Amino acid sequence: MEKTNENKEMTAQESLSLINEVLNKSRKSILRNNGKHFILWGVLLTVLSLGIYELWHITGNPIWNLLWFAMPIIGIPLVKLISRKDDAIPQNVISKQISKVWLAYCVFVTSIFVISIFTGLIELSLVIVLLLGFAECISGIMLKNWPIIISGFILGVGGAFAAALMPTAAEQLLLFTIGGVILVVTGLIIKIQYR
Amino acid sequence: MFPKLDPLLHSELRLAVMSILAEVESAEFSYLRKETDSTAGNLSVQIDKLSAAGYITVEKGFKGKMPCTTCKITPEGIEAFKNYVAALKEYIS
Repeated sequence: MEKTNENKEMTAQESLSLINEVLNKSRKSILRNNGKHFILWGVLLTVLSLGIYELWHITGNPIWNLLWFAMPIIGIPLVKLISRKDDAIPQNVISKQISKVWLAYCVFVTSIFVISIFTGLIELSLVIVLLLGFAECISGIMLKNWPIIISGFILGVGGAFAAALMPTAAEQLLLFTIGGVILVVTGLIIKIQYR
Repeated sequence: MFPKLDPLLHSELRLAVMSILAEVESAEFSYLRKETDSTAGNLSVQIDKLSAAGYITVEKGFKGKMPCTTCKITPEGIEAFKNYVAALKEYIS
């Protein structure tokens, strides 16, 4: 946008164009900012799932799954750190709803994880990967981005199917590695879409 | 007969500020300045005018040790913005 001048006389067309231009610019800044959160959580998910898979594989002990609790412990301070520079960027309706979808995902996954530890009745990887794909798909719908919608569907449905076919729970962790990579790619797509 | 355009909104910088605030819950002064590419003095004057008209609220506080001004559109502001856009559309059609 050119430097704004409060005294400039505008035609009706110029006024509408200005509103459109300002709204688009602001929307891009806000949604582009969301991209880095997808990248951060994607990298964290990839690294943690690979790490836990390796430790479980080597020792044969599923206790390493407790390392999943390190995800919010590491992730939340990192989110605050990377947001410090852009903390003046506000949230709009879309970015707020996307945050709420992922917050709901975290609540669901934590609850299922805890229930599964005590009961062992739930096919944990299948449910979590399905929820991960679903949250990704909803994010894509809100952003009106087909690649994100489709990748979410493939991750959720394909991942759940693959989890059912995989012979050991340790191997199912690799589905989360794929999920992490998809989150990173989603973040990059958002950054490109709203460049 | 064409409807009268709100003179308070029919100004480039004030309209830009109102357009941003219509999209978000609230926005800091630094964000508005960056998005509108305006000077601090100029933006401050226009924000005061919008605030005096009751179109926005201005909250002055601190973020850490730094002063922080946050602006928020009011229901009257949203109504005025909607009416302004509707009037513009009538002019064009």
